[in-house]
Amino acid sequence: MGFLFPAFLAAMAALSVPIVLHLRHRDKDRPQRFPSLMFLEQLPIRTAQRRRVTDLPLLLLRALALALIVFAFARPVFSKEESVKKTERVRAVVVLLDRSMSMGYKDVWKTALDSARAVINTIGTGDRVSVVVFDEEAEIIQALTNDKAAALSSLSSAKPVSRGTHFAAALRAARQVLVAAPEATSEVVFITDLQRSGVAGVAGLDLPSSINVRSISVGSKERGNSAVANVEVRRIVEPTRTMVGVQARVSSRELTAERKAKVTLMLNGRPSGTRDVTIPVSGDVPVSFEPVLLPSGRVSGYVSIDNDALAVDDTLHFALAGDDGVDVLLVIPGDALRDETLYFERALAVGQAPSIRIEEVRGDQLEGPKLQKAALVVLWDSPTPTGRAGAALADWVTRGGGLAVVAGRRLAARGNGGVGARSNDSGSAAPAATRLVPAKFVGAADRLADRGGTLGDVRLDHPLFAPFRDASAALSAVRFLRYPRMEATAGAEVIARFDDGLPAVIDRREGTGKVLLVGMPLDAASGDFPLQPAFLPFLKRMVLYTAGRDAPRLWRTTGQSWLLPASLKEPAVTIPDGSIVRPPRDTVGSTVALNAAGVYSVYDGKVQGEPKDLLAVNAPATESDLTPVDAKELLIGVRQTNDSTASAGDVPTRVETESRQRLWRLLLIAAVLLLFAETVFANRGWRGTATRMKAVLPAGSE
Amino acid sequence: MPLYRFRSRRCSGMASAPAAFLDPAMLARISDLALLARTVVDGFMHGQHRSIRKGSSSDFAEHRSYQPGDDLRRIDWRVFGRTDRFYVKEYEADTNASVTFILDASGSMDFGSGPLTKFRYGQFLVASLAWLSQKQGDRVGLATFSKDLTDIVPASTRHLQLLLHTLSRAKVGGPSQLVRAVDKISHLTTRSGIIVLVTDCYDSADSVANSIGSLRMRGHDVIVFHLIDTAERDFPYSAATTFEDAETGARLPLRPEDLRGKYQKLLGDHHAALTRRLANTGADYVRVYTDQPLDRALHEYLDRRLARSRVR
Repeated sequence: MGFLFPAFLAAMAALSVPIVLHLRHRDKDRPQRFPSLMFLEQLPIRTAQRRRVTDLPLLLLRALALALIVFAFARPVFSKEESVKKTERVRAVVVLLDRSMSMGYKDVWKTALDSARAVINTIGTGDRVSVVVFDEEAEIIQALTNDKAAALSSLSSAKPVSRGTHFAAALRAARQVLVAAPEATSEVVFITDLQRSGVAGVAGLDLPSSINVRSISVGSKERGNSAVANVEVRRIVEPTRTMVGVQARVSSRELTAERKAKVTLMLNGRPSGTRDVTIPVSGDVPVSFEPVLLPSGRVSGYVSIDNDALAVDDTLHFALAGDDGVDVLLVIPGDALRDETLYFERALAVGQAPSIRIEEVRGDQLEGPKLQKAALVVLWDSPTPTGRAGAALADWVTRGGGLAVVAGRRLAARGNGGVGARSNDSGSAAPAATRLVPAKFVGAADRLADRGGTLGDVRLDHPLFAPFRDASAALSAVRFLRYPRMEATAGAEVIARFDDGLPAVIDRREGTGKVLLVGMPLDAASGDFPLQPAFLPFLKRMVLYTAGRDAPRLWRTTGQSWLLPASLKEPAVTIPDGSIVRPPRDTVGSTVALNAAGVYSVYDGKVQGEPKDLLAVNAPATESDLTPVDAKELLIGVRQTNDSTASAGDVPTRVETESRQRLWRLLLIAAVLLLFAETVFANRGWRGTATRMKAVLPAGSE
Repeated sequence: MPLYRFRSRRCSGMASAPAAFLDPAMLARISDLALLARTVVDGFMHGQHRSIRKGSSSDFAEHRSYQPGDDLRRIDWRVFGRTDRFYVKEYEADTNASVTFILDASGSMDFGSGPLTKFRYGQFLVASLAWLSQKQGDRVGLATFSKDLTDIVPASTRHLQLLLHTLSRAKVGGPSQLVRAVDKISHLTTRSGIIVLVTDCYDSADSVANSIGSLRMRGHDVIVFHLIDTAERDFPYSAATTFEDAETGARLPLRPEDLRGKYQKLLGDHHAALTRRLANTGADYVRVYTDQPLDRALHEYLDRRLARSRVR
């Protein structure tokens, strides 16, 4: 029940008036005149009586009458559900069936199906039901229908999948379904194990207040589960061979007792190691396998334990490239000094995870197989190539290649136009390469006078500076004596500036590739950067980030999508269940939805021979945690909205509106009756006598 | 302005039954005090079997100083020629008695649970007694008081109309200073006579008795009419109420049901003390309830008046 004019309820404060009057009326209203208090003052007086309400029935009568009047003016109105009997309205029921990975635990899924059938069987004549299955996303497998058999049969196609739980997606789908049935009493029935990890995102969701949401918990009382939670792969490069060491982590929660299990490592379908472990009741146990010879080509594998009640998370797939080295093409100007790139090359040669291979080339050599093999092109203080090489470079970057331009005195000396100044005059292909450089050069800054400049504003949240997020002082210690003045072009992002405000590092996306313009001198002649500790991690990060190798992952989780390499002309993907998918190409490229756990292999054209790429996919680790949430907490944070915006079908009829508001008349009548009773009550018995016992008129008043 | 004015036709019809005019409820309908007094006295005297004895004499008694209000014809001009002072010649049996009425006009008198307040009742009583005294040839005077003397009419055989006029114009209100007023009266009256005090006696019995005693010491005969309203006597209140003092305006919240018995005991003790203490002084004390007819008061007065044998 609500009120049409709730502001009138503020008049409830008027209830204090009769109370005050009852407390004070003897003092102010009708003092009884008496000739003299000479004798009365000699009597023991109980003054405590004066502040007590002595006529409580009359006070209650008056207060009740006043309250009824206030309520009548506030116009109470019954809500739709209260005014219209539910039996008079049809129901629209949406069954939200959880099919996330955790529903495969023991016989939870069977219980869930039984519950869903039971809910569907309660549908009466005229009622409608819809079936929605959900994991991280929701899928309407049966729209609203009054065909009970169709709804039941839709359940046969549902089964648990290797995906996470997202209740918010299910609620959105239910809300969408119920929009089609505004006249009905809406009900949403969750059939789920109420996994706590699925609650994220529910808070803030808008849900019409007329929708009744209830949940049927089908989770097992025993929630003991163990899973392979993580795998780390380490390459061990030896002079004659490359070994691979695998370390896994097995986690468990709420087991009834410690469990002995066999952990198995498989690489490219071959057993590569076995360990016997004792899994604790709750906790993690690391498992290390002996290093094995790294198979040639692309490698996929998995680590598994003996199956328990939830078998899906007992295997963790992973994939790694057989050769993870990064090929860098370094373009050096013809007039370069002998040791100008010494620090740069030596720094990148350090380390083997991954190994960085540098090949010096001329600008006009940037085409053909050499460019396709490379992961990164570094223009060392050189302009972008012209002609076919420039076009090839631009095309290669657009298709996912990485280009790093190290700007120095030469580019700065070219003045306005910078890298592409000459290219503008050299044919139709030149502008494409020119546009790759995200800045114009307008001279050089000389900081010799003030002992060199430093970096002033660095965006540490950028991936390029991730190694310095906890050690930003390492960057500020670097001194730069000379550097080019640059002006970022449209679409470019300045991610670091010198202390005089000039851009130091500029980043820009070019198609699916990246272009990074580094204004900081990387040689020892124009600064001391090569001599600083920050030099090595910065260069490593620069190469990996620009080459797109900064975050190599051994696997992805279900629910994501895989953007296939643009170099594939007719991509064909084998998915974990063995079927072949040929995704269509669009402007971005070909994309494959990762719905199942396992290894995805992509081929170009025919599915045979060595796959072009591998991708391992696993279910989210949060699905292994079967901890449920209280059903009452499920909807905490959901914002209830009124139904006025739902649809025009919600507008009540005139009769219905009147029936919802008619209470005010009854309240007013009751108030009048109470006031009449108060009049009679207050003038009967001793109350009336007290009123009439007043002093007579003074002498002479006639 | 007519001298007599009836408030209703019923009053003239009641003339056939004069005793009915003694009823306070009936007297409340008469606005003119002179008419009221004459009506009451006529009604009271109707059926009286003995006539009022009148004394008279023309023997010279003494000279006394002229007082405002004295008849100028009584001034002895010979004495004035010798002494340059005004003296009035007085004779034995010039009047039967000098009667001074003292009416309490304090706020406590402005109370009444019936048709009449105590003050109104007191006005009727004084007017009737004055009329009665006049008919016997007595000199009549008036004094009203509250916290001090407010109106004074010297006693004279010709001051009845002035007395009635003053009485009708008297205002009631303010605190009561009974003792102080009586003391002043005792100094103003040079000749002994009859003092009729009409009051509700809201003062201690000892104080009242002491003041009356001083009047008695000066040779006055004193009659005290103690006016009491029935509500003062019965204290008929039941609801918790705040009582307000009619004189001072002070307020006192009470539950009368719980205090009625104690109040009536205190009141009874006060009345008994007044009766005892005034009897000791030789004054007459008459307790009059305002719902009673006036005849009892008149009887008391006449009995006292007739018992007085000495005249100047």
